[in-house]
Amino acid sequence: MAAALAGLTLPAVVEELLSEMAAAVQENARIPDEHLSLLKFIFGPSAIQALDLVDRQSITLISSPSGRRVYQVLGSSGKTYTCLASCHYCSCPAFAFSVLRKSDSLLCKHLLAVYLSQVTGTCRQLKVSDKQLTDILFAEKKQKA
Amino acid sequence: MAETLRRVLNLGTSARSGVEDTAEAGPPLLLLGGPGSGKTALLFAAALEAAGEGRGPVLFLTRRPLQSLPRGTGAALDPLRLQKVRFQYPPSTHELLQLLCSAHEARGPAPSLLLLDGLEEYLVEDQGPQDAAYLAALLLDTAAHFSHQTGPGQGCGLIVALQTQEEGVSGDALQVSLLQRYFPAQCWLQAETPGPGQHRLRACLDPGGLGPRAEWCVAFRPNGEMTITPWPTQAGNLSLDKGSSSGGQP
Repeated sequence: MAAALAGLTLPAVVEELLSEMAAAVQENARIPDEHLSLLKFIFGPSAIQALDLVDRQSITLISSPSGRRVYQVLGSSGKTYTCLASCHYCSCPAFAFSVLRKSDSLLCKHLLAVYLSQVTGTCRQLKVSDKQLTDILFAEKKQKA
Repeated sequence: MAETLRRVLNLGTSARSGVEDTAEAGPPLLLLGGPGSGKTALLFAAALEAAGEGRGPVLFLTRRPLQSLPRGTGAALDPLRLQKVRFQYPPSTHELLQLLCSAHEARGPAPSLLLLDGLEEYLVEDQGPQDAAYLAALLLDTAAHFSHQTGPGQGCGLIVALQTQEEGVSGDALQVSLLQRYFPAQCWLQAETPGPGQHRLRACLDPGGLGPRAEWCVAFRPNGEMTITPWPTQAGNLSLDKGSSSGGQP
């Protein structure tokens, strides 16, 4: 990455890894070991935690008739975190700290889990009304107060 | 000049430089500058420019109604264009968030451009970086949703204006750098006062890796008309650093 402070998009190497993983999963229905190793190398302990979240089917893609979508991830603590689909945002404290404040992580484990569940196609899907989606997005703000 | 203005603001319509971006109207842009540096005027000009493209309405969000139409609109103040600009005035962060969260509920054609003036006024109430991040992320998410609605080849642009402190670094430096991470493209406005009766701004656009940095001189004539010319690049290049260092760049 050119700039030291990364913008909130995935670096090319991660994008590439994810699309390779997606292709491999298409063929074999599992993530190849070398991809897993690379994932751990890039993301450290978050990788294992994220994979665990995926295994436990903890990620839900919520959408409404409008087409707008948001992700929710059931964390290991039992708390549900909201992740935005279009740009990097997660309501968990680790995101606020490691990604935003200290910039020493690219993603928190929940966001990584979202990406991985897209790759493996193991997202739960939940359809809600437009109004309910508004409430989900808006409640996000109150959670932090 | 219209093309220059479009470039200044990096509206990135699909016609820009002949590259067809499928669902994008160019990266979201953060417009930064001190008080009185012409941010509102430029935002408004961008609104009229986009309205004239006939792609969709323009949504202009600001805390207080504009007291007067910003200087510099001049001949471009076509009533037909103005009609396509929808102003909304969320009075607080709460209302702004509600507006963004419920943007998908609105009926009618999706906007082709989303503008927010005075982001700093909405951030004042917030408690910390996560709140600022959520607001920025929601703005991006809302624009992304509008883009998704308008379909390929069009998309909804996003320009957000943020007032920064005049000189030096203050407590909001962390906030600015956080916001910069959500906005790949940035444009800095710096007021220059070359002489009495002249009001000039230097606009420095960084499209964030999608093109070279470029600078323009934005001048306001006494009659209010705004003219934009490329900034002369001679020794002026050295002072580019001054402009970017005040931007808190890494």
